[in-house]
This record gives sequence, C-alpha cells and structure tokens, in this order.
Amino acid sequence: MMDVGRHPNINLYTYSEVIEVNGYIGNFNVKVRKKARFVDETVCNACGECEKVCPVAVADEFQQGFSSRKAIYMPFPQAVPSVYILNNDDCLGHNPIACGKCADVCEQECIDFDMKDEIIEINVGAVIVATGMDVYDPTEMDEYGYTKHENVITSMEFERLISAGGPTEGHLIRPTDREVPKKIAFIQCVGSRSHSTTGNPYCSNICCMNTIKDSLLIKDHHPETEISVFYIDIRAFGKGFEDLYIRSKNAGVQYIRGLPGEVFEDPKTKNLTLIVEDTVANTVKDYNFDMVVLSVGVIPRRDGGAIQKLLTLSRTEDGFFMESHPKLKPVDAPTGGVFFAGCAEFPKDVKDSVTQASAAVARAEVLLNSDMISIEAITSECFTDLCTSCGICINVCPFNAIRGSDAKTGTPAEVIEALCKGCGTCAAECNFDALSMKHFEDAQIITMIDAMLDENPMDKVTVFACNWCSYAGADLAGLSRLQYPTSQRIIRTMCSGRVDSAFVLHAFEKGAPIVLVSGCHFADCHYIDANRWTQKRVEKLWDKLERLGIRPERLQMEWISAAEGQKWARTMTEIDEMRKNVTKEEVEHTKKVLKEDREKAEAKRAKKQSKKIAPKTNSPGAEISVPA
Amino acid sequence: MTEIVDFKCLRCGHEFTGPYDKKMPIERSCPKCNSNSVRKIKKPIKK
Repeated sequence: MMDVGRHPNINLYTYSEVIEVNGYIGNFNVKVRKKARFVDETVCNACGECEKVCPVAVADEFQQGFSSRKAIYMPFPQAVPSVYILNNDDCLGHNPIACGKCADVCEQECIDFDMKDEIIEINVGAVIVATGMDVYDPTEMDEYGYTKHENVITSMEFERLISAGGPTEGHLIRPTDREVPKKIAFIQCVGSRSHSTTGNPYCSNICCMNTIKDSLLIKDHHPETEISVFYIDIRAFGKGFEDLYIRSKNAGVQYIRGLPGEVFEDPKTKNLTLIVEDTVANTVKDYNFDMVVLSVGVIPRRDGGAIQKLLTLSRTEDGFFMESHPKLKPVDAPTGGVFFAGCAEFPKDVKDSVTQASAAVARAEVLLNSDMISIEAITSECFTDLCTSCGICINVCPFNAIRGSDAKTGTPAEVIEALCKGCGTCAAECNFDALSMKHFEDAQIITMIDAMLDENPMDKVTVFACNWCSYAGADLAGLSRLQYPTSQRIIRTMCSGRVDSAFVLHAFEKGAPIVLVSGCHFADCHYIDANRWTQKRVEKLWDKLERLGIRPERLQMEWISAAEGQKWARTMTEIDEMRKNVTKEEVEHTKKVLKEDREKAEAKRAKKQSKKIAPKTNSPGAEISVPA
Repeated sequence: MTEIVDFKCLRCGHEFTGPYDKKMPIERSCPKCNSNSVRKIKKPIKK
C-alpha cells in the first residue's frame, strides 16, 4: 500500500467515492467525490496531538468495537496516506465550533473546519472493480448465541484480538474476564453452505484455512490451549494448505465433523456448552469451552448495487459481480473496459486475489497500450427516419449503449457501437423497426423461418436458441450422443433477447405447430439481463395467443445452459410429444387467425401513416413531405 | 412489489403458487416437471 501511495504514476484517492461513470471502453469519464476530511493531508504529519485532546470517544469500527477511537483519528495504523481524519458525525460540532481543541493543539495548523467535499473528474481507459467484500452478520443465527453470550465472537473479531495492532496488542483474552481461554471452539460454515432461511448457500472459500491458521497461531503462543474445530468438510485445496491442516492436527487441534445444534452459557463462569452430533462417531455429545469463535462467511458488499448501476454490471444470484465468461474471460466484466479483482467477483483468499488483480491489470494494460481496439461486429444500428424517439430501446439496453432518443425534441436514438454488445433486445423491442441487428436482421431471420417451414411444417419444432448457452447445450447433447427426436430446427440468435414477437408469430402463421424460445439461465446471461426481456415478451405473447384463440402451450420457453445437454435432450423429447398432439385443423385455424390479425394491424398502421402525411385543412397549399 | 400469485406450467399443466414481482423478474420453473414455460395466472390469491 505504501508503494502505491508513493508511486509517481498512481493517483490514490482515499476517503473518496465514485459518483458517476460515463463513456465507454477506452474512454471513461469518472466523477469522484473526495470527501472533506477536515485535515489538510498535505500538511498533517500524524503527530497524534489532536487525538489526545479530542473529548469524544466512539466504538472503533476497525477494531470491531473492542476498543474506542476519537472523533479525530487515524482509520488504522497502516493507513495510507498516514494522516488523520475528522469524522463529522462524531465531532461535537464545528459549524459553529463547539470544541476546537484539536485545532488549538495542531502545530502544523492542518485542521480546516471549513473544508468541503470536492468533485474530481478523471478520464480513464479502463476501470478495475476491486470493492472487496463484507462479512456475514451471525446475529440472525440465534442458536449460536452470538447476541446473548459475550464469549461467542466472530472470526473477524478474533482476528483483531490476536493482532499485534489490535485492542489487546495481540494478547489472546476472552471478553468476559480478560483471562487467556484454556479451551476454544471454532464453529465452521457460519452463514455459508446453508440451505435454510439463514445464511448463504455458497462456500465462502477462505474460512477453513483461516481457522487452521488461527489454531496454529494459538498453539504457537499457548501450546496448552485445547482447540476443537466443528466442521461440515475441511476444504484445504490450495498449495500447501493440506500440509497446514496436517500441522494443525499434529499440534493437537481436534477436528470434529458436525455442527453444534445450540450453544448454552453458564451464567456464573460464562463458560459455554455446545451440543454436537459427531457424524463420524455417530454420537451426540456435550462439549465445554471458555470461548467460541464463529467462523463467519463472506458476503458481497452491501453497497454493491451502487457500483452495479454506475458501471452497468451484472450480479449473480449470490450478489457477487458476474464475469464476462467464467472460463475464457474470468476477470472481464460484461461491460467492455471493466475488470474485476478480488472478492468483488467471488470470495477468494489473498493469493487468488493477487492472481486475479495481476490478470486484471494485464488485461487493462493490453487495452491501454492499443492504438485501436476491435469491437463486436454484431451491433445494432438505428434507422433514424423510422425512429419515433419513444425511448423503449434506451430502457431495454443492458449496456446503456443507446442514447439521444428524446420524444420532446424528436431526437432519434443513437447507438454507441463501442458499448453495444449485440444482444439485439433493442431491435426486438422496437415497435417501429427503427433498430436492426447487423448480421441478425429481421429479414434474415424471417427468411430462415420461411425456408424451415416451407416443407412439412407439421413435422418440425421451431427453436430459437441463444448462441452462448442453449445452442451450446444442443451441441453438447450431440457430442454426448444423447438420443432425442430430430424434429427440431434451430435458429441461432446471439441472445434470446433478439427473438422478436414477430418471428414467433410469423412461424405460427407459416404453420409451425410448436415454437420454443430458449436462452441462458438468468444468472448466466451474457448480456447482463437481456433474457429478462425475453421472458416478458414471451409472457405477452402467451396472452396474445390466448386472446386470439390459440393455445399458449404451443409457445414454449426454456433456459438451458451450455452444460445442460441432458436438459436439451429431455426438453426436445417432451416438446416433440407436444408437437404430435397439435392437429392440422388447429394449425390451419392459427394461420387464418394470425393472418387476419396481421392484416388488421398493417391496415391500422397504413391508416396512421396516411394521417401523418395528409395536408392540414387550414393550409390547403401546404407542401406534403413524405418520409423516405 | 412482490405478491403471491398462481402459476401454470404450460408443459405439464401443473398449477402452483409463488412470488411475482413485475419489476424484478426471476427465473421460474415448474416444481413438478422443471420446465421454464411457467405462466402467471392473472387472478391474485386473496389472503
């Protein structure tokens, strides 16, 4: 951190917040709010005199509330820059000045009560998101008594207790009597690998090794301390991790497979009793300890939503940021020019975080050292003469790649090709055909449907499959030699978001008995949330089909990942059975009804268009302008 | 706002209830056949 602070080519903005990000890959404009710290950081020499005289004492967040800090304080001993900060909320008040003792004793005269937040604008080519993580709050898991028993602490609190820079200067004591605990229990997976109403379903990755490290540290300082670790599985998969685990066992740490059902406290001694089912010995036993450490899991940053909005990122169901591709682009965000490092993407230890950070920097370097970058050839384009400036495209674009559309001024939409990733949702949602997808134009897809259903349409299932997941799932089914009916005919689109309602209706009008729209699972969408629009569109189509007297069941929707070849095969088998139940009369009726509906809509549109170009009655000589 | 509504599977015909939020669409699947062709039945459940 010191190196970063001193590096001539790195501008470090501490106590600052990104409030706005505009632009695109290679050309971002970032607005940063540098919050007022009320201490001139260019002058402060961290003498600490101000802290000594400050009369306010509040719980120190960095020390997990085990000690107090003043209203003017150093956030933590190794803070860079090494300067003090005055917390406006804690200070007795400096407008008007209620105390001012810190300013009185400051020889450097660096305290400035009139300091204001500063907005800084910077232009950058790439953005690396390294916003870290939060730790799980175990207050909701009442069975472990974290809110009731003082000697039940979290692993993060334990970390401060044994830190040389911590509130006890590294001396291990238990909170109630400040004595060295003789028997310590660690409970693993608190808030992780939980499929109940509390906690998270994923493994937090770091807790097992953190406990093993802590147990060895205790054994080094207090060899007589008895340590027991209650676990589901010990996951020691990294380089040297298994050795560390064995060292811990050899040092006398007892590992018991099973998590406690409840933790009780002796009101006199404040000792703790754990009732645990040992799933290896198949016994239920009581264990007594002086102190219990809850090995709490990792959760995504609670303010991650703000970063997501700023950079138009996508998050997984767990709440961590989603990478562009889990194997091929593991450090890239779906938004071009944005990269991830550390726990922002998923829980990882220091080594993995450094590895990912190095990769992110390398990816950013490649970008910054390029005179030119290649962008996706499959992008949207706007036919401005057809655009009504309704703004729907702006709302649906997951990458904020469409701008300009303004109904008041009549400004047509403009596609920023550097931002567009080519999902085609805008083209599918535009009611006026003003947007088109290069290489996946309406006419091209309609032609494919026509060719597909030209002969024996009753024998075919029309399938729209997204490039990344469903199509790859079909590929896997084939590679795996899975058996399924051969009735399906696939039209590949980059994203299921490209599947226009008109394509589905056209297929039905051409005699398709069944149509399937398939795409990625919601968490896997390569275009952030484009497939949410697919679902909405299909839901609207079901309503429309029903209104027209067509069975909605004939339009199917399925989310199939690239790894789900079996799901593809099963879906195709099921849908083929449904196809066989569609009668010729039903299809003929559908064709007739849809033709009538289309002709009605076309007539309505033509009438509307003619009204638009008709001369006004009060200006008979007015020139008629006909759009090209 | 999340409401509890009726859903119908358009693959197997199974009917079930579940949460629905117009603004926050979630991936739905039929608890019986796992199909994603799950359609919301318009009438909300009265508690």
